[in-house]
Amino acid sequence: MEQPVQTETWKARSLEELVRILHQIFAEDKVSVDEVQSLMESYESNPEEWLQYAKFDQYRYTRNLVDNGNGKFNLMILCWGEGHGSSIHDHTDSHCFMKILQGNLKETLFEWPEKKGNGEMTKKSERALRENQCAYINDSIGLHRVENISHTEPAVSLHLYSPPFNTCNTFDQRTGHKHKVTMTFYSQFGERTVCVSTRWGASH
Amino acid sequence: LPAGLSQWFPALEVLDVSGTGLTEMGTELLSLPCLHTLLAKNNRLGGPGSLPKGLGQAPLARSLRVLNLSGNRFSEVPPALLQLRGLRSLSLGGNRLHGIPPDIQELQSLEFLYLGGNFITAIPPELGNLPSLRYLVLCDNKIQSIPPQLAQLHSLRSLSLHNNLLTYLPREILNLVHLDELSLRGNPLVVRFVRDLTFNPPSLQELAGRTIKTRNVPYAPSDLPESLVRYLSLASNCPNPKCGGVYFDSCVRQIKFVDFCGKYRLPLMHYLCSPECSSPFSSASQSSTSQSESDSEDEASVAAHRMQKVLLG
Repeated sequence: MEQPVQTETWKARSLEELVRILHQIFAEDKVSVDEVQSLMESYESNPEEWLQYAKFDQYRYTRNLVDNGNGKFNLMILCWGEGHGSSIHDHTDSHCFMKILQGNLKETLFEWPEKKGNGEMTKKSERALRENQCAYINDSIGLHRVENISHTEPAVSLHLYSPPFNTCNTFDQRTGHKHKVTMTFYSQFGERTVCVSTRWGASH
Repeated sequence: LPAGLSQWFPALEVLDVSGTGLTEMGTELLSLPCLHTLLAKNNRLGGPGSLPKGLGQAPLARSLRVLNLSGNRFSEVPPALLQLRGLRSLSLGGNRLHGIPPDIQELQSLEFLYLGGNFITAIPPELGNLPSLRYLVLCDNKIQSIPPQLAQLHSLRSLSLHNNLLTYLPREILNLVHLDELSLRGNPLVVRFVRDLTFNPPSLQELAGRTIKTRNVPYAPSDLPESLVRYLSLASNCPNPKCGGVYFDSCVRQIKFVDFCGKYRLPLMHYLCSPECSSPFSSASQSSTSQSESDSEDEASVAAHRMQKVLLG
């Protein structure tokens, strides 16, 4: 993705319109990160439009595929129960946009561990993301952990990944050791997908 | 709660009074025979009288399945709550609890227990007496240790312990066969091999008890005072598989590291019958990086099958 000379200022008035405009943007050869981020932020979350994708699991957060972007991107909704969080993870050389649809999420950024490092990972920063805010990350920025630290409110977030990926690395905060994991979808296009494999789908 | 609620809606099954500023829930609750879900989060409940008297005798005690009191001001679990025998799901997240009452074991149907975000410092062993418990959340508290009795929660699938004050875990945690997820980040877990050197020598009574047990000295209840018969029944086997010894009260606490799936090292607390018993791996204790004792490898392969989803980082 590079920055073209002109960037549009989009306003998505519904989730459907957001998806439509995303298809339009990603049909081009060059896509602007700022353009996608402001488009995502412009959509004012309306639960009626996404409730069908928001399937919660008692034990951990869920990934629910909304649109597969003609292979150019994956758009999905993540549902975080109280106290649910992800491991520290990377983004497999892809771009990651994360917009809060409901509730709040805490994002903690970490430095990449040293190659031979065997110590505690370094926290870079942390922030609380509010409803409708859209965050962006890629591997050159760093690694992050995302968590719903509320003990009373569930949280829902909308994620866009480009290009799509289904494996990533999770990191042990105490040692920096990494471990490759495969991610799975709890539901796709509003339909619950039952996983045949018992292998755990970690992080996102 | 509005007066007359049970008259207008006698068949009420789900009641959500979250975020209404309630300071108490009165006797209207007692006359709702069909109520199975009560959501009262983010209120001002917590003082005396938050729950009505006579709750244990009301139909609610048998019908209520889900109770959410998160985001209130409870500084202790109200005793009346423990009379809700049909309860399957209880949330007291984000309150001001300093402990968990042992009588929590009265809630025998409990499957889901959320206690995250309180000020809990210790867990009563009685919490292990909940045979249906599948999901236990204790994150964001001030817990310093986990009682080994928690390993009796054989239905447990998910245990959330992140952001506490744990330095180690009891090795019995390996017995939780169905445990899929365990979160431990944000705890000051020891990373180096630690050996508790303060070993209190066993009493004469204990030495005699050990001899009777290990030598299989026969005895009948008529031979000994009842208190000693009871004492002998409390012998614990030394967990060291190479040792056939037993111990009663006097034991060595030792922290051993167990590798999970070759990726994470969890410090688990062992109780051994004597400092000498730990000698199979005490020679390795000087080197904090050497962890390849045969014992830990056995345990690691067992653990690898059982705990694939340990979330440490």
